[in-house]
Amino acid sequence: MAVQDIKPTRSELIELKRKIKLSESGHKILKMKRDGLILEFFEVLEKAKSVRAELDADFNVATEKINIARAVEGIVTVRSTAFSFKDAPQLKVESKNVMGVVVPKIESSSVRKALNERGYGIIGTSSRIDEAADAYEILVEKIILAAEIETTIKKLLDEIEKTKRRVNALEFKVIPELIEARNFIILRLDEMERENTFRLKRIKS
Amino acid sequence: MAFLIRRGSKKYPYITARVRAMKSKLLPREVYPKLMNMDIPEITRLIGESEYKQDVDELAQKYSGLDLLEHALNQNLARTYRKLLRVSQDEPNYLITEYLRHWDIWNIKTILRGKNYGAPAQEILDAVVAAGQLGYRELTSIANMESIDDIKTALGNTPYYAAIANYDGGELSAIENELDKIYYSRLLASIGKSKGEKLSLKYIKTEIDLKNIKTLFRTKKAGLVKDDIFELLIPGGMELKSGDLKRMSSLPWSDFLKGLEDYSYWSEISEVVSEDMTSLMDVEALLDKYAMGYASRISHYYPLSILPIYDYMLRKNNEINNIRTIVRGKKVKLPDEIIRKHLVM
Repeated sequence: MAVQDIKPTRSELIELKRKIKLSESGHKILKMKRDGLILEFFEVLEKAKSVRAELDADFNVATEKINIARAVEGIVTVRSTAFSFKDAPQLKVESKNVMGVVVPKIESSSVRKALNERGYGIIGTSSRIDEAADAYEILVEKIILAAEIETTIKKLLDEIEKTKRRVNALEFKVIPELIEARNFIILRLDEMERENTFRLKRIKS
Repeated sequence: MAFLIRRGSKKYPYITARVRAMKSKLLPREVYPKLMNMDIPEITRLIGESEYKQDVDELAQKYSGLDLLEHALNQNLARTYRKLLRVSQDEPNYLITEYLRHWDIWNIKTILRGKNYGAPAQEILDAVVAAGQLGYRELTSIANMESIDDIKTALGNTPYYAAIANYDGGELSAIENELDKIYYSRLLASIGKSKGEKLSLKYIKTEIDLKNIKTLFRTKKAGLVKDDIFELLIPGGMELKSGDLKRMSSLPWSDFLKGLEDYSYWSEISEVVSEDMTSLMDVEALLDKYAMGYASRISHYYPLSILPIYDYMLRKNNEINNIRTIVRGKKVKLPDEIIRKHLVM
């Protein structure tokens, strides 16, 4: 707000004072929210780091198992057995609120299956196929967990960034401008009062 | 009935002589360590210039890279087995046919799985190996059928119909297990009572034992209940009779491992078995090696019997498995130690 656009009136001064008060309390609350979000972010970050490390390890295990199955049993066997897996895992996505940020909560079902529920016959297959299927089931579960945590992190980061921008805008732009405008009005009103007093004294004399 | 007529008709000298000649073309065991030290291009060149040349050339337009090599190996296996069927007569032909039904069953399973999944016919056909009685043309026509009922009708005159008669889509595991049981019961019934055949029967029974031990390991590790486990075991084994299977399927993991010590197979696997073992791959690899060694040992006892033919079929299949394991293993950079562990030499 440019100073020249301000009307130096008492009502404007009252309005500005109200705005400053509101902005200062908003600034304080947003700062608290930012700090809270950062704390929450670091907590989730720790979890994400460990899930990511586990995911990497599970991925390496699954890759090794499927590579062994492909090498020893052959791509033809792996492909044929893969036709048995018809049911895709069921995912239920809900949302939860973390300090005003809506983050996903993913629940999965029928990812891990018992050996006799996988759809392929046990007599005609081998443990190489079982272990590859096991490893991939574990991997899919971990991917779902990682997806939940990493989406939470992204959403928290976006919110932190947004809140930080708001805090900075309030702290370095909105409040200083309002204070400058308030000071200007006070100065103008004082000036006007002095002019008035001077005019009255001149009329009197 | 045809089998009764054929039984006793000993036409082994010709087929066993052919098999001996075919056996001489198999890669000697010394080649595998050399293959382990070669790069993939060197191995593929060696394979492309060997017995597999024709198959590689034929499939080169359809596949490339390691898929070409693997399909060429499978096609060669199918070609070799079909040649055995072609050059054999009467009893040997009958017994080879019964032994190779394993591949028919494999192909039927693949087609049913593919249909159930909704895979295109070509994708299903990429996963079949026409090494049994059902040829590629028959398998192609079955794979192109739209409904399960059509497939059932097409297989109506085969021994597999009994297992799939009540199938109307959905989960296949029970059907697949039933097909495997039919295979082994037919195989056991196919062998007669002469000395050579008794030994063949011993070999088949040993194969059943090994299959049952693998199934027991897998199902126990997965925590299946005893009734479910017993359902999956094949009757007619050599050492593990019906009572043993019942007892073993009801034992908890640690007692099961202890119980295995009563059987001769224990000495083969004892090194890698422990209560806290996480993978069963080593056990299976050792049992496969044992089966191979056993077939090789008994194949010399009665040279004019089905035994050398079984041994050859096993060796041929094993050669293909070994080449594939080395090449695929090298391609995905599996450690040499793991590749060696899965080679059966």
